[in-house]
Amino acid sequence: SMSHDTGGTLARYENDCKPDENRNKGASRWSHCRKRGADGSLRKSHAVEEPVKCSQSSRRPKSFTTPESEGPVSRVKNWGDEVEAEEMRSNVQRDMHRYRRRILEADFPQRDRKISSGSSDSRDSRDSKESSVKGDIETDEATLIRRQKQINYGKNTLAYDGYIKEVPKHMRQPGVHPKTPNKFKKYSRRSWDQQIKLWRVKLHAWDPPAEEGSDVQQIEVIDLGEIMDFELDVECSVDTESKCPTSSGVSLSLAEDSFTGTPKKVMKIEDTEMS
Amino acid sequence: MENSTKEEYKIQSFDLETQKLLKTALKDPGSVDLEKVSNVIVDQSLKDQIFSREAGRICYTIIQAEAKQTNGNVFRRNILNRLQQEFKAREETRKRSTQEWVCLVSFICNIFDYLKVNNIPMMALVHPVYDCLFRLAQSDALQNEEEVDCLVLQLHRIGDQLEKMNMQLMDELFNLLRDGFLLQEDLSSMGRLLLLEILEFRAGGWTLSETAQKYYYSEVTD
Repeated sequence: SMSHDTGGTLARYENDCKPDENRNKGASRWSHCRKRGADGSLRKSHAVEEPVKCSQSSRRPKSFTTPESEGPVSRVKNWGDEVEAEEMRSNVQRDMHRYRRRILEADFPQRDRKISSGSSDSRDSRDSKESSVKGDIETDEATLIRRQKQINYGKNTLAYDGYIKEVPKHMRQPGVHPKTPNKFKKYSRRSWDQQIKLWRVKLHAWDPPAEEGSDVQQIEVIDLGEIMDFELDVECSVDTESKCPTSSGVSLSLAEDSFTGTPKKVMKIEDTEMS
Repeated sequence: MENSTKEEYKIQSFDLETQKLLKTALKDPGSVDLEKVSNVIVDQSLKDQIFSREAGRICYTIIQAEAKQTNGNVFRRNILNRLQQEFKAREETRKRSTQEWVCLVSFICNIFDYLKVNNIPMMALVHPVYDCLFRLAQSDALQNEEEVDCLVLQLHRIGDQLEKMNMQLMDELFNLLRDGFLLQEDLSSMGRLLLLEILEFRAGGWTLSETAQKYYYSEVTD
């Protein structure tokens, strides 16, 4: 969602302006932008024209404008969070375009085996046979973002780093080597969470050895079901910070209001990740 | 190498120890306190006009370096949140010091220019940037050449990008500028000239025609 603070700011302007100033209505300006924010779709982010109907329909009385506030309001995100959310959406959209292209390409005999740059979790050309109906992929943005966060959580571990260094992709044997779940396939929530759980467990085989005398022991099987049953709104930076013990003064950027489960349990898991 | 880094990122104005910190941050971000680095950069941007126009580049490089090295974005998050604080306090800043205020605007716009998300400008910054420009287009600010100068500089640099992100706001902004130019009596002649140039600039599709270029920018010989 758009920063509510700026909505309040512009409303404040109008009070400071001289009466003869040709300034227009804060409400319509910000509310139509809010609509765009609610869309969330970055495909339209550099659309040149704002649709005319949009501003007309959003001509709301001033009282609808977000109340002004100088200080941080709990529901107002900070810019850091907003940009990370933008980035997540943008990455997911980009991945989706690539995936769709890959499916289409795989259907045609003259396969262009050019691998696009950047990693993707959805490379399997067998996908196209399984979901021969082109539309049969997961497209809900919120779902894709949630899944991507879970994937990122698993990839930002030393275990994953170790794994990809040791086993190049082309050497991976199905069944033996962990495979990142494909976020574009249609799965039930339960099924997806289970796949993630199993994937994470398999990855632990590549955990770096524990240090002498350290009691950060390697992972007996954690019941990841506990953390999978509610939304994990954890930023990727959480785990990467754990890999950089030297960057001091860095705070774990956990959104405090994002846990519906027991925060303590989650913290424990992070401890064990920090090896 | 020493001098080229100084040159490239315009960090000559920092003391030696800070220069060293910045250079390390550029090469090995994982080894420094990135929160400290971001504060150093923001603080300086508010004081140093030249740096405020260029700091985006050094930020960009550190962000890339951190992403590559640790896959983190601690630095970006710190810069943005710190910037947000300064933005919220901008009216007080403006009252306290015009110089700081224009530095702040330059810096925010520079960040908007350089820090992109998958090559798209940060949506989160669009309204804040517009807010700043609208403030500069108010009549009290237009009286002040320093502020007009800042306004037109930003529009030259990022006007076209801003317009793409939100055409309607840009139209409204230019309505203000046009009104200011035509109706406001207490503008300095330089202020007026700057406004006229930017009006033509946008009218020409964010570029100046050759004749306009000659009109505004060539030396008059007698």
